[in-house]
Amino acid sequence: MKETLKVHFQFSPMAIRILLLSLCLSNNLYASSSAVASSSQTATHTNNWAVLVCTSRFWFNYRHMANTLSLYRTVKRLGIPDERIILMLADDMACNARNKYPAQVFNNENHRLNLYGDNVEVDYRGYEVTVENFLRVLTGRHETAVPRSKRLLSDEGSHILLYMTGHGGEEFLKFQDSEELQSHDLADAVKQMKEKGRFKELLIMVDTCQAATLFSQLHSPGVLAIGSSLKGENSYSHHLDSDVGVSVVDRFTFYTLAFFERLNMYDNASLNSLFSSYNPSLLMSTAYYRTDLFPRRLEQVPVTNFFGSVMETIHTDRPYRARKRKESQDRIRMPLKEAVQDNQQRRLSDPEIEVRRVRAPEDSIGRTWNSLQNKMKIFEYPETFVYYGLVMMLPLLAVSTWLYS
Amino acid sequence: MAETSEISEQKAELEKGFDPNTMRKTKPGVKRLALTLSVLFSFLLGFPFLWKSIEIYRAPLPFKDIDSLSERITSNPLQFPCGFQAIFVGFGSKTYEELSRLEYSIFNRMTGLTSKRTQCGSCSSNFSVSVTFDSDSSCTQKGHNPASYHCGEIKNVDFNADDEVVDDELEFVLGRSYSKGKKWYTVIVVNRDKMIKVAIGKYRHAWIVGSVSEEEAALRISEIFTKVFMNGGNEEDVIHGEFMPVGADGKIVLSFNLLNADPQDWIYDWDFDRIEETMLSPVLEALGHIANISVESQVLYHTPKSSFSHWDDERGAHIFSVGDLPFFVNSNEWHLDTSVAAGGRSKILHFAVYIPSAKECPLLLQVPDGDISETNGFISPMWGGIIVWSPPNCSRDTESNYQTRRKISSHDLQMIYEVFMGQLRQLFGLTSHNLFIGRSGGAIKLASEKGFTEWELDFLSRQHACSNLHSCSTTLSSLSRLVQSLPRMIIMEEIGKQVEFSLEAAKQAESDASLGIFYSSAGSSRQARSLAEDAFFHPSIMSVSYYSFEHCFAVYSPFFLPVSLHVILAALREWKRYKQEKTKYLTWVTKSNAAAS
Repeated sequence: MKETLKVHFQFSPMAIRILLLSLCLSNNLYASSSAVASSSQTATHTNNWAVLVCTSRFWFNYRHMANTLSLYRTVKRLGIPDERIILMLADDMACNARNKYPAQVFNNENHRLNLYGDNVEVDYRGYEVTVENFLRVLTGRHETAVPRSKRLLSDEGSHILLYMTGHGGEEFLKFQDSEELQSHDLADAVKQMKEKGRFKELLIMVDTCQAATLFSQLHSPGVLAIGSSLKGENSYSHHLDSDVGVSVVDRFTFYTLAFFERLNMYDNASLNSLFSSYNPSLLMSTAYYRTDLFPRRLEQVPVTNFFGSVMETIHTDRPYRARKRKESQDRIRMPLKEAVQDNQQRRLSDPEIEVRRVRAPEDSIGRTWNSLQNKMKIFEYPETFVYYGLVMMLPLLAVSTWLYS
Repeated sequence: MAETSEISEQKAELEKGFDPNTMRKTKPGVKRLALTLSVLFSFLLGFPFLWKSIEIYRAPLPFKDIDSLSERITSNPLQFPCGFQAIFVGFGSKTYEELSRLEYSIFNRMTGLTSKRTQCGSCSSNFSVSVTFDSDSSCTQKGHNPASYHCGEIKNVDFNADDEVVDDELEFVLGRSYSKGKKWYTVIVVNRDKMIKVAIGKYRHAWIVGSVSEEEAALRISEIFTKVFMNGGNEEDVIHGEFMPVGADGKIVLSFNLLNADPQDWIYDWDFDRIEETMLSPVLEALGHIANISVESQVLYHTPKSSFSHWDDERGAHIFSVGDLPFFVNSNEWHLDTSVAAGGRSKILHFAVYIPSAKECPLLLQVPDGDISETNGFISPMWGGIIVWSPPNCSRDTESNYQTRRKISSHDLQMIYEVFMGQLRQLFGLTSHNLFIGRSGGAIKLASEKGFTEWELDFLSRQHACSNLHSCSTTLSSLSRLVQSLPRMIIMEEIGKQVEFSLEAAKQAESDASLGIFYSSAGSSRQARSLAEDAFFHPSIMSVSYYSFEHCFAVYSPFFLPVSLHVILAALREWKRYKQEKTKYLTWVTKSNAAAS
C-alpha cells in the first residue's frame, strides 16, 4: 500500500499544474470558438419533406410514373402532408389515350390499388419537369411569382427524401427524353443546399439503370444515398401487366413498397432493416448505398425520420392574461380608425408631389428639354402635330421643284 | 525581228552577269504588302473590341467587405451594452464606500450567474451597475448618476396600491431618463414590514417590497438582473433557431383558422375582425421591429382530426393525451397553407381552433401528470398552435336547421385569444405563464396588453439581431464563394446592389448594437438578412445557364477562323515574296556596284 502511494506522488506537482492549466485553456478556447457555431450544428429535427421526381415521358414508361405515385402514396400514408411534398410527373399516364383504365394508375397486375384515386396533388406536371426546374426546386432560386406550393420551403431542421426514377446511365439521369441531369450538377445543387442550411439530413433514392453513379460525386455531409444498381448494371421492371399492356412497376420500388406496406405511422423500423431487405437475386441488380457522408449509424435511424412525419409538440400550460385598462381601450380604438383614414388621404396626395419632384431637373439641358416639352404641349394631341408637318411638306416640295425646274 | 533583239538583249545582260532568277533591277513594290498588312492590322485592331463585346457582365461584388464582415461576426459575436440600477428605499443613509461595495458585490454575483462563454446577442460582460440609496432623510448616490435618476422622485409612488398602478407610476418616474441610447433596467427595493413580494413590471423595472436585508436584496437583485432582464426569463440566454419563426424576407403571416370538424352537428363562426382590430394590432405593432407581420383568417368545414380519443367516465369527457399530439393535425383534410398573400420566403404560422364533432364532445387534453390541461392547446415550433374548444353543453340542436350558424360568444373568444397569445409567446421562445421561479425566490411577471413586455421585447430584439446578422454574413460568404468559383457566370446589377445595401444595413445594425439601441439594430439586421437572401436566391444564378469558354469558342470560331486564316496566310505570303524580291534587288545592286568599281 505504501509503495503505491509513493508511486503516485512521484509526479511532480509542477507537472500536474501545467497539465491542468493547459487542459483548462484548451477547454476555454474550444468552448469560445464553438459558442456561436454550436447553435447551427445541433439544429433539432423539425419537419420532413419529400421531393419525388419521375423523369420519363411516353406510354411505355408507365412504370416510372407508377413508381413515383406508389412512393407518394406511401409517404402520405405515413404522415407527410401535401404541403411538404413536391411531386414532379413528366407525363400523364392516367388520362393517356392509350390507358384502358382511364384515370387509374396501378402498380400491380392485381389492380388492387388505384394510385391516382384521390388527394393526389401534382406540383410540376408535363413539360414543367425540366433539369432547370428541378435544380431550382432544390436550390430554392425561383422567380418571385412561383407559388409556395411549388417551392421547397425546408429549413435547417428538415429531413428531405429525394426520390428519382426514370432512365439513367453512367453519371446522368435523362429528363423528358431531351436533356440530362449530370451527377456533378446534382452534387453542386446539394452542396449549395447544405451551405444555405436547407436540410439537416438528405436521403437520395434512385431507381434507374446504373443508379449508383448518379450520386458518386456528392461530398456534402448529412447525405445518405441508395441506388438500385451499380455501374454497368441495369435495373429491371418487376412484371408485365398484360391487361394494361406495359410493365407496371420496377423491382427496386416494388420491394421498397413491400417493406412499407407492413408498417404504419406508429412503427419503429430502422433504415438498416430497409436497406438489408433488398435481395440482389430478386432485384437482379445490386442495391448499393453510401453512408460515408452520413453521421449517424443506420440501425439508430427510424424510417419515419424520412418517410413519415414527426411533429414536435409542446403543451401550452397557461393562457396569457393581461388586465385591460378600460378607459384606454376606447382611446386606442379611435386613433386607429383615424390613423387609417389619414393614411389613405395622405396616400392620395403623395403621388402628385412625387410627380412634381420628378419634373424639376437641375441641369440646363433638362431645362431646355422641358421648355420644348412645354411648348409641345400647346398641341393637345400629337397627331395634329404630325398632320401639320405633313401638310408643310407639300409647299416645300413645290418650292424646291420650282427652283430647280 | 523582235525575238532576235530580245535574245540579243538577254545575251548582253547575261554577259554582264545578270541572273533573273536571283536578281532584279528595280526595287520591289510595296503596294501588295501594304494592302495585306493593313487588312491584317485592322483585324488585329478589331480583336479587343470583339473581346469586350462578348465579355460576361459581372457586377463587382465587394468580396473584401464580405470577408471582413464574416470575420467580425465570428470573432466577436454581437453584444449589447446594458445598464442596471438598483434603488434602495427606506434603508437609511450610507457612505460612499458602502455604496461602492454593494455595487461591486452585485456586479460579482451577476458575473457569477452569467454563462462563461460569450454568447451572441447577450448583454456585454462589462455592463454597468449603479446603486442609489434614497430615504426620507438622505439620498446617497454616485456624483454623476449615469442612469440619471433624481433623488426623491420615488417618494410619490405608493407601493401599497395595486400592482398595475404601481407599475405605471414607476414608469412615469423612471421613464424619463432613457429616451435615447442605452437602456437601464431598474430594481427598486422598498423596506416595509411585511412579507416579501417581488413583482416584475411591464416596462423595464421590477420591485421588491417587504422586510429584506441588504445582502438578501442584493442576491435577489442580481438574480432578477441576470435571469429576467438579461435572459428574458429563461434559464439559458440563447434562443434556439426553432424558436425564431421569422421568414427569410423578414415577414411572418399569422393564419388564424376555425375548424368545424363535422358541420352536420353544428357550424360555428367567430367575430375575428373585432379581435384583430382591438387586441391583435397592438401586439403586431410591438413586434414590428422583429418581423413584419400580417394576419389572415378563415373558417373551414369538414376537418376531422386524425388521432383518436377515448371516453373517460370519471370526467365525463373524451380524453386525448400528450402522446397523441404529434398525430393530431390531419393535413389531408386541413387545408391551412392556402395563403395567397404570403411570399415565397415568408414564414406562415398557423393558429387553429378545433371544434370537435358531437361524437367527441367534450374533448379534453390530459397532461402527463394526469390533470386536464387548462388551455387544451399545444404548439409545434415553426408551425403554429392548436386549441381544442368544445361547444358549451355539447347540445346538438336537433330542431333547428343545420344551416344556422352559431357564433362563439365573446367571452369564449376572449379566452381563446388569451391562449393564442400564450402560444405566440411560446413560438417566440418565451413562457406563456406569468411566474418566475428563481433560486432565491419567485416573482410575478405582470402581463402586458401588447403580449410582450418591454424587457421581453428587448431580449427578443437582441437575439434576433444577432441571429439575423450571423445568417446574413454566412449567406454573403456563401454567395461570394459561389461567385468566385464560377468565373464565367453573369452577375446582374441587381445582385451587386442588394449585396451593397445588405452590407450597409449590417454595418448600421452593428453600430446601433454598440450604442445600445436594441430595436433599430433588430430592424437593420432584419433588412440586412432579407437583402442577403434576395441576392443569394436571385433566380439568375443557375449553374446550367452560364456560358463556358468552350461554348463561346464554338459559337464564334465558324465566323472568324476561316477568314482570319486566309488573311494571315496572304500576309505571310506577301511578306515572304517581298523579302525574296528585296534580296534579289540587293544582290543586283551589290553586283552592279562591284562591276562599276
